[in-house]
Parts: sequence; structure tokens; C-alpha cells
Amino acid sequence: MFQVMIFGHIESLRVSHLIRWALHLPPFISICKFNPIKYNTMKNIRTGRPSVFSTAASDGETKNQPSEVTNEEGLSFNCVQYTPEIEKTYVHQVYDAIAPHFSSTRFARWPKVASFLDSLTQGSLVLDAGCGNGKYLGFNPKCFFVGCDISSPLVSICAERGHEALVADAVNLPYRSGLGDAAISIAVLHHLSTESRRRKAIEELVRVVKKGGLVLITVWAVEQEDPGLLSKWIPLSRRYLDEWIGPGSPRVNSPRSFNLKSIPESEENNSQVSLKVSSEFLGAKLDETMKINSQENDTSTTYIDNRCKENQEYFVPWHLPYHRAEVSGSSACAVANGLAWKDDKKGAVVYNRYYHVFSEGELER
Amino acid sequence: MRLLTHNMLSSNIKGVTDGFPLKIEAGKVVEKEVDMNTDFLKNIFTKIEWKPFVEAAKTLGYSELPEDVDPSLLDSQDFLTKFHHALLEIHLEEGALVCPETGRKFPVSKGIPNMLLHEDEV
Repeated sequence: MFQVMIFGHIESLRVSHLIRWALHLPPFISICKFNPIKYNTMKNIRTGRPSVFSTAASDGETKNQPSEVTNEEGLSFNCVQYTPEIEKTYVHQVYDAIAPHFSSTRFARWPKVASFLDSLTQGSLVLDAGCGNGKYLGFNPKCFFVGCDISSPLVSICAERGHEALVADAVNLPYRSGLGDAAISIAVLHHLSTESRRRKAIEELVRVVKKGGLVLITVWAVEQEDPGLLSKWIPLSRRYLDEWIGPGSPRVNSPRSFNLKSIPESEENNSQVSLKVSSEFLGAKLDETMKINSQENDTSTTYIDNRCKENQEYFVPWHLPYHRAEVSGSSACAVANGLAWKDDKKGAVVYNRYYHVFSEGELER
Repeated sequence: MRLLTHNMLSSNIKGVTDGFPLKIEAGKVVEKEVDMNTDFLKNIFTKIEWKPFVEAAKTLGYSELPEDVDPSLLDSQDFLTKFHHALLEIHLEEGALVCPETGRKFPVSKGIPNMLLHEDEV
């Protein structure tokens, strides 16, 4: 399930923003004020965060934090805008490799995103940061959309469809400030591996919209009404941590931040189904599942809450069927160098995509 | 890449204080007709940096835009037509965008600017 957040603007004179924070539980809609300055303040006190964030991702962040503040002469790769290896390998490379197949499965629009775009004033300029295959570009024909994505193959798909799109990084948007009437970030932030990078991406969205502009953000939530869903994803393990950081690198994570469980074959086989359900069907039926969820008892919620304290960092598999053309090209290399593996039972090359799933209230912090 | 996008883009290389406007190195330029959206033109007009827009249009071979503008022009159909054409119908298909401070070139290929920075630029 996605968490949805809308930054809106109350009074342009006061430069204050309004967050309408709509969680997947219908009665749970709260409104609070958002002040961009607060983000800067919060950055500097992040070391006191709860252990939820002491994960592989946070390790990098801890190192990055000082240079983010005083990066004038620091090494550039300590900067918040420097892409960590985990994102390069398990987000960028994967989407580049699976782009055509991924795109062929991305056509259903999320109802909340659709209603947001429909509600925009005629003639609005909409900036889509992390536009993927551009399924929202041009969604409201009375507005003009400019999309960007870090995956060049996905941007090419946008361009072939006649959309205006460019290759750029959501944590460092190459736009002048205050241009957009609205900005959207749909299922993007959960691919950023540190809290500072997720914050930076939100700051960028806020920066590029005008005073009084709107920002819509959706991310994957750790609280799922189907408790089985996350169990089909793969919690990041020490094994992967070692691969990213290297055996000699310092680790500050607490052991309980990681699930060391191995992935049974059966789960792996089911994951394609779960992925499809989660990405498309839940989205398409968002409102329905919300209603169902509100009638459920608290058992599942409690279970999930316990789980989310353990882990918010996951691999979500992507199954690229053997018959897809790209299997013979880049995927053969990916298998050869260990980025992907073959699942002969499913007849697919399996890629892992990195996800940070958000806990309730996390976007608000 | 449309001239709208060019007018929005700014070099965000670390240390660059004013990355706008990017200089255009024009290779291939194409024109693609699209429907006019007057609401959008009127909305975006206030955000367009006009002089760089006129310069960019000239670089791509279009010099019909007035050098100076004021909002009253938005009532003129003739102006709207030219504004629309320059803003949304002229595409830089191949070429480069050059950072005004560092000279770093951002390639434009198949109509797509690649604004990704190298690791030593962030």
C-alpha cells in the first residue's frame, strides 16, 4: 500500500505549507503545517533518531551527515547528492535493464494520483520527478507536463511517446526554483537509501514549485493491510550489506535491524504474483482496500508494526520473463556479474530492486 | 527538448552560483506541431525569462519573437501563436547545453537532455 502525502499551500504571504497526510486508513487523515525551514533544523539533529533508521542505508547517512552540512571542501562523494552504490546497483542498473518490460506493465494509474492531477488548475505546469515510463505525463491534457528520471531507457520511452522528459536525478533537480504549479513524486522516494537523500528529494520538490504550489508524494508503506505482502519481499541481510560496503568497512547497525532469514524457494516463486498485486491491483483498488481495511481488527496492524521496527529495507524482486528480448542482452551480463539470477521454474531472470518502505508518520517527520 | 525546458533548466553543478541560462549548441532542430493551450501560455508567460528565451529561439533559427514583452501581449493572437510555436513546437533534437560558468556540456540526444552530473560535480 502506498502512503500519499500532499504538500499544499495555505497562505502565500506566510510561506507556510499545508500537508494533507492521507494514510491508507480512511479515518486517519490528519492535517499539519509544514515549514520548509524545519527540514533544515531537523537535518542537524538526526543522530538522535530511533533505531528504525539504523540500517544499511543509515550507515551511509551517518557518514554523509557532516559533509552535507559543511561540504565546501569535503569529498564530493560524501555529499547527500552522491548516489550510493546500493542505489546504483539495485535501482538504477535494474531499471535500466528491465525498462521495456517494466514499462509494459506500467499503465494503470493510481486513483489518488489521477484525482490529484485532475484537480489542477487549467494551464498548470506539472513537474514529475521520477517519471518512469511517463504514465502520468500528459494525464491532464489541460496542463503541461515535464518529466525527469534517472533511468535513460525509461526517459527514452517517454520521449518516444511524445512527452517532454529529461534525464536527471530527483535529489538534484536541474530546474530553476519556483517554476512548477505542481510537482509529483510517485513511487520514487522509497528507492532512495538514506533519510537525508529522501529529505533532499522532498526539498527539491518544494523548491521547484511556486509559492502556493502543490506537491504530491506517494511511497510504499510498511503498514500493509495484507500482512503477507512484506513477507514475500526480501529483507536486506548482512550478506548484501557486506557486498555493498565491503567486509572491512565499519558498520554501526544494530543486529536486530536486520532479518537474517533466508528466502525459501516457494516465496521466491510467489514473489512475482505479490509484486503484480502490490504494484498494480492494490493501486487500482486503493479506495476499495481502504474500506476493507477499516473493518479489520487490529491484529494485522500490530503484527506489521512489530515487523516494521525490525526492517524497513527490502529487496523487491522483479521477474523478467525469458521471452523478453532484453534477456539475451543486458540480462545475460547481469546474470554473469551477479546482479540477477535465473529462476528456471518461473522462466524468468530475477532482479532485486532496493526499497525503503516507509513507516506510518515517517513522511511527516 | 523544447525551449520551455531550456528556459527551466539550470546547471546545478556544485559551486555554480548562476547556472542559467544554459548556452545552446544546436545540432539538429525539428518542429512538431501541437495544439495550443492558451491557459498554459498565459500561466507560463510570467515564469519565462524572456531574453534568454528569445536568444534560445534565435539559436534554433526562429527570430519572430519580440525583444520586449509585457502581459498585454497575451491578448494578441499573433503573439500567442508565435509564443506557442517557439515554446512548444521547436525541438532541439541533437546538440548540447553548456553550463554558463563551467563550460560543462550536457548532451542532448534524440531530443533528451542528459542533466546527470558526474560524481565530482555534486
